[in-house]
Amino acid sequence: MFDALDIGASGLTAQRTRLDIMAQNIANANLVTYDSSGKPNPYRRRFAVIAAGQSGDPSRPGVHVKEIKQDMSPFIPKWDEDRHEYVMYPNVDPTIEFTNSIEAQRAYEANVTMMEVSKAMINASLRLLA
Amino acid sequence: MFIDRLLNQGATPMLEQTLQFTAARHKLIAEDVVNISTPGYQQRDLSLPKFQKMLAERAKAADRSAPGSVDFSDVTAEVQKRNSGILFHDGQSRSMEELMSDQAKNALMHNLAIELLRHQFQQIQMALKGQP
Repeated sequence: MFDALDIGASGLTAQRTRLDIMAQNIANANLVTYDSSGKPNPYRRRFAVIAAGQSGDPSRPGVHVKEIKQDMSPFIPKWDEDRHEYVMYPNVDPTIEFTNSIEAQRAYEANVTMMEVSKAMINASLRLLA
Repeated sequence: MFIDRLLNQGATPMLEQTLQFTAARHKLIAEDVVNISTPGYQQRDLSLPKFQKMLAERAKAADRSAPGSVDFSDVTAEVQKRNSGILFHDGQSRSMEELMSDQAKNALMHNLAIELLRHQFQQIQMALKGQP
């Protein structure tokens, strides 16, 4: 039954990684850097691809972040008064990020509950010995 | 031999199997919960009605036989696909409510079996001591 704790821990790690990436996207939602030639280089949204199995050993039950990919959807054009032209801004939609973060938060809480139940069951089993 | 017979009669073997079942089911539910956002993941579960039916049949057989002569160790449930909730675009049919309700019921069943088993052991201890 101790496996259930490892499974829960893998879920916590995966959901926290998702939340970290969402926080990074929101933090960089307005980031536009310019290269040496003055060409705008907006931040591209990232997202986590999750897969079943423990990280390092996918045959063991659990979940892990398989890779972090870049969202290739088009950038958002915004009019720049100073430059008198449209400038491409990051393809980050805060509404999507916040919605996904609520989902990740709920999944995190569900995993915490599972771990608490696992601990209670293990404690109950151990009390048989006492 | 005497201790073996003492521990293998009455409800003790059934409770042992129930504990093994709840522990295995808890692991599967934990796996389902942890993969709640994994695209294409097929949720799995152990069938409680099938397990209880097998256990009841074996208990009936035990009633008709000598105490401790019926083996319960092969009473297990098969892992099956969980078909609940609606099918989402990521190819998964998840229902967090059902999962959390199943884990709560499973934990209660586990604790109930633990308490009953502890009671059985206390009775044996009292009998061995010859005092309440």
